[in-house]
Amino acid sequence: MEEEELQKAVLTYLRKKGFTKTELALQEEQQNRLPSHSDLPLSRLENSPGRYKNGYSKLRSWAHCSLDLYKHELLRVLYPVYIHCFMDLVAEGHMQDAREFFQNFREDHELMHLRDLQKLEGILSPSHLEEMELARSLRQNKVRIKICEYSYDLLLQYLQKTQSFSILGIVNERINFEVSPGQPISISDDAEVVALVGSSHDLAKHINQKEVRWGLLEDSVEERLEKGNSDSEKAEDENKEIEPEENKKRSAGGGKQTAPSKKSKKDKLVAATGKNVRSETSTVAVAPRVKPELTLPVMPMEVEKMIINDLRNRVQLSSMALPSVCFYTFINSHNGLNCSAISQDGSFVVGGFSDSSLKVWDMSKIGQSATLGEDQSTFNEHLVGTEEGKSSCTVFHGHSGPIYSATFSPLGDFLLSSSSDSTIRLWSPKLNANLVCYKGHNYPVWDVQFSPFGHYFASSSHDRTARIWSMDRIQPLRIMAGHLSDVDCVQWHANCNYIATGSSDKTVRLWDVQTGECARIFIGHRSTILSLAMSPDGRFMASGDEDGAIMIWDLSSSRCISPLMGHNSCVWSLAFSREGSLLASGSADCTLKLWDVTSSVKGQKIEESKTSTTNRLRLLRALPTKSTPVYTLQFSRRNLLLAAGALSKC
Amino acid sequence: MSIVPKETIEVVAQSIGISNLSPEVSLALAPDVEYRLREIMQVEAIKCMRHSKRTVLTAEDVDSALSLRNVEPIYGFASTDPLRFKKAVGHKDLFYLDDRDLDFKEVIDSPLPKAPLETAVVAHWLAIEGVQPAIPENSPVEAIVSPSENKKSENTKEDGLLVDLKLPVKHVLSRELQLYFDKITELTVTRPESNLFKEALVSLAMDSGIHPLVPYFSYFIADEVARSLNDLPILFALMRVVRSLLQNPHIHIEPYLHQLMPSIITCVVAKRLGSRIADNHWELRDFSANLAASVCRRYGHVYHNLQSRLTKTLINAFLDPSKALTQHYGAIQGLAALGPSVIRLLVLPNLEPYLQLLEPEMQLEKQKNEMKRKEAWRVYGALQCATGKCLYERLKMMPTLLSPPKHGVWRINPRIAISRIKRKLSTNNSSQQPPFKKMAVDGPAGTIQAIATTTANLQGAEDGFSPQSSGAGTAQSSAPGQVSIDSIGSRREKGGSGAPKGSVVLAQAWKEDLDAGNLLSSLFQLFGEGILSFTQSPEKSFFL
Repeated sequence: MEEEELQKAVLTYLRKKGFTKTELALQEEQQNRLPSHSDLPLSRLENSPGRYKNGYSKLRSWAHCSLDLYKHELLRVLYPVYIHCFMDLVAEGHMQDAREFFQNFREDHELMHLRDLQKLEGILSPSHLEEMELARSLRQNKVRIKICEYSYDLLLQYLQKTQSFSILGIVNERINFEVSPGQPISISDDAEVVALVGSSHDLAKHINQKEVRWGLLEDSVEERLEKGNSDSEKAEDENKEIEPEENKKRSAGGGKQTAPSKKSKKDKLVAATGKNVRSETSTVAVAPRVKPELTLPVMPMEVEKMIINDLRNRVQLSSMALPSVCFYTFINSHNGLNCSAISQDGSFVVGGFSDSSLKVWDMSKIGQSATLGEDQSTFNEHLVGTEEGKSSCTVFHGHSGPIYSATFSPLGDFLLSSSSDSTIRLWSPKLNANLVCYKGHNYPVWDVQFSPFGHYFASSSHDRTARIWSMDRIQPLRIMAGHLSDVDCVQWHANCNYIATGSSDKTVRLWDVQTGECARIFIGHRSTILSLAMSPDGRFMASGDEDGAIMIWDLSSSRCISPLMGHNSCVWSLAFSREGSLLASGSADCTLKLWDVTSSVKGQKIEESKTSTTNRLRLLRALPTKSTPVYTLQFSRRNLLLAAGALSKC
Repeated sequence: MSIVPKETIEVVAQSIGISNLSPEVSLALAPDVEYRLREIMQVEAIKCMRHSKRTVLTAEDVDSALSLRNVEPIYGFASTDPLRFKKAVGHKDLFYLDDRDLDFKEVIDSPLPKAPLETAVVAHWLAIEGVQPAIPENSPVEAIVSPSENKKSENTKEDGLLVDLKLPVKHVLSRELQLYFDKITELTVTRPESNLFKEALVSLAMDSGIHPLVPYFSYFIADEVARSLNDLPILFALMRVVRSLLQNPHIHIEPYLHQLMPSIITCVVAKRLGSRIADNHWELRDFSANLAASVCRRYGHVYHNLQSRLTKTLINAFLDPSKALTQHYGAIQGLAALGPSVIRLLVLPNLEPYLQLLEPEMQLEKQKNEMKRKEAWRVYGALQCATGKCLYERLKMMPTLLSPPKHGVWRINPRIAISRIKRKLSTNNSSQQPPFKKMAVDGPAGTIQAIATTTANLQGAEDGFSPQSSGAGTAQSSAPGQVSIDSIGSRREKGGSGAPKGSVVLAQAWKEDLDAGNLLSSLFQLFGEGILSFTQSPEKSFFL
């Protein structure tokens, strides 16, 4: 009103003074301003919640109508735009519209992102956005999308032409395009594209460029056996060969304190073995040797002898020679069994229960041995033995919450368990007693794993950290923090210098034990990672997730070699065979599957240049169990596959 | 908005003692409550479930999730099994926990429950060098069913455990039987007219080894009938298959009747059978009606409610004026096939009102649609036939009136009989004007060689049937009395042409025998003289 009066006053003034030209110019200018007035309702519409729906549905139909060649690239853009539209709506307080918008287009993305959608669905107020980890990480990080030049141009042109600024804003603000020149990327190569969520990808890239010394430890027992074998070829007595060595070592080392001298000795040995590596059969020999960063415990001699004996008797597995599988079934567990573990030689089986108890069965007492003898007679004996063997379990009480994980030390003399009471307890099956209670985590400890050489162990927890402990200290040695959600599983690298952790944030990370820093981030899974396994040569890692997907990663290049949907349900456990040629996976869908690692890995080497063809892991055999989900898998040193699971009545 | 309605918030508030919660507050709280619920259920509880290596969420998981969030757990749901929810009757998505009231005294007095069996570990070879040994602990190698259906049965035997088990029923079909089944179904669907199909029907009716296929056949028929309602030949072929199966003395078809009956009834009373106008669905209806009736006769004693259910279905179709005439026709034929007593009890009381309903449909001036009119005439004919049969049965009950017919007469004099038929036809035509008169006249003319058929045709013509259908519909039921029916013509010949005229007198005379006489007279009033052909000649001649 004021403005109009003012204008009138000015006009009358001008007229009075006779400034006709100025008056005309003023009027013209006023008229020019009018269209901008008529723009007002339009811009108001731009601010209304409807613009997101409009903009998105237009973008959606445009993407679906685009050329087939570029379609899949453009469709990838839809999901981030969709969730950010939704979150913008929530942030602006249009709760009803946000819900409506979410439900309208939910179906499009259910196939790929069901779990995320389920989580996001609950967000209804701006404060929830702040609170929820997933939403927060989505808001804070940019989504990275690989896209070819032409598709990128198409998209930008479309967004500018249609003046859908809200969508354009989201695209600019939330998506980080990696524009690649040339042809669009093939559809199959979408392993990385799926990983929309996660820490900033630049960081991941940076981290993944670090060097990982993935090789095996020098001076391992296997190596010495190799050496022994090659020496025996020279008609030397291997026992003699090993024993003096052992003695030498003892005299030289005698403990952890004198590590330097030990190392120098090892260096010599490496030089020696370097010449002696000639066996083609063993993949272990190919792997480079690294020094241990931790001072490792010394192995007692008789144990070492036993191990060497086992190694000699090891069955060579390949795609042609499949392993024997011994299955331990927990019966009458009344849905209470949460986890199980089998000792290295298969003689002890432990089950962790939701009633906080830990039960250990000595299988060697029950039957003659579960590991040896494939003849039916011992097996039958074994079954008969179960009758009196029922009482042979020892129960450990100590935890005050459901036990989520248990693990035997490599030599079978210690047992660790982790529980929802946020403690880890060390037990001795020999003494039937609890030795130590490790308190450090603040929330339930989901997983605990002994290092391959014992003494050290790693744990992972709901508090989003993984921790490294040694048996003799009640405080953790290292705390690995970085995951954006629960750390669900943990696994040691074969050389003890790294641990891998799988998390609910859908990434797998590799941590340097010595420095406690993240050495690798593996992005590609679409749901919570539940199981991890390291190949014995230390080069590969397998991870299994909630949806049943199994992925094999190359640690040095941090690339996924073979992604596949292996199971219909959660992959509870994974295990590499002792020479790394096979991968076994156990799942909630009551099957145990054997995969051919060698061929897929080799194929990968050949096709390394052609990135477009991702080869799949080859399924060798699927072994259905009788409605028994497979909880634990472990290859014994002789390559017998031990599996355990609880019979579930359906 | 939020899946938690604000009323819920109000109720919860009241339950903890806040009675004056303002609506704005509950509105604002509702979305937050939903968010918290989802957080607990979808994020935390699921995590606990996964780490307990389960795929079914339990109350325990929710408790753990609550304790993760430092919230006091919900007490009172201590169960290691997933909760069994029951569906509320009448609601689609409403579930509740079956929480029974327990008498405390009873609980105390009851003996202690058996201690739960102790957890144990048993070991077996899942595979030996990659091959699964065929031992009971392993799931059967050849199992096609999903692994979850394979119950672990053997542990119970070994350890004497009381595990509740159900073994999957495996139905193994031999290769030959599979081939046989495939061939028959293929023939039924693709070449129902071929000679091979007739052979197949014979085989189905005779073969003693096809019992394992019966469930597959019954499923196939039910499925195929539902699918090919527009394809009359296939429907007919399917009904023939049913008949053959029913005839087969070696198979035990009773358990599958529940699957077959709906298909048969569909073929009787469906609104439309076949897609073309020219399709003779009447024939199919008659055929299926007889099939249904024969099932009732054979298995009525096993399934007591079989016939009652069937008649209920049919009478509902018959008495519903909104149903199409084709459906009425089917219903009448179905009822007629069930026997005269059914007609007397169910059809006759409703006859008069129904005919009033039907009449306008039949008249040229009131119903312009020729198809409809034809249909109406069909229905009329079916009614007449049905009531006639009933009447015939009634009359037959008077043994004193029965005298052995003289066979010689019509044997010597077939031509006269035919001429009589023709004459009768012409009189009928003049009174009723059935649209099929040409066909009807041609029918008897073409089949002079046997009087039996001609008489059947005569009935058919009067009732407005095509010759075959009436043969199928009436010949069966009247077979024992055929001779006497046959003799109608010849006897009447003697009585001369006075019969049509004297029919009124005839009806009057029958009043002596109240029941049957009344019936006849009322029927006569309704149908005209057409009904007279159902009266037995001995009586008639006796009277005349």
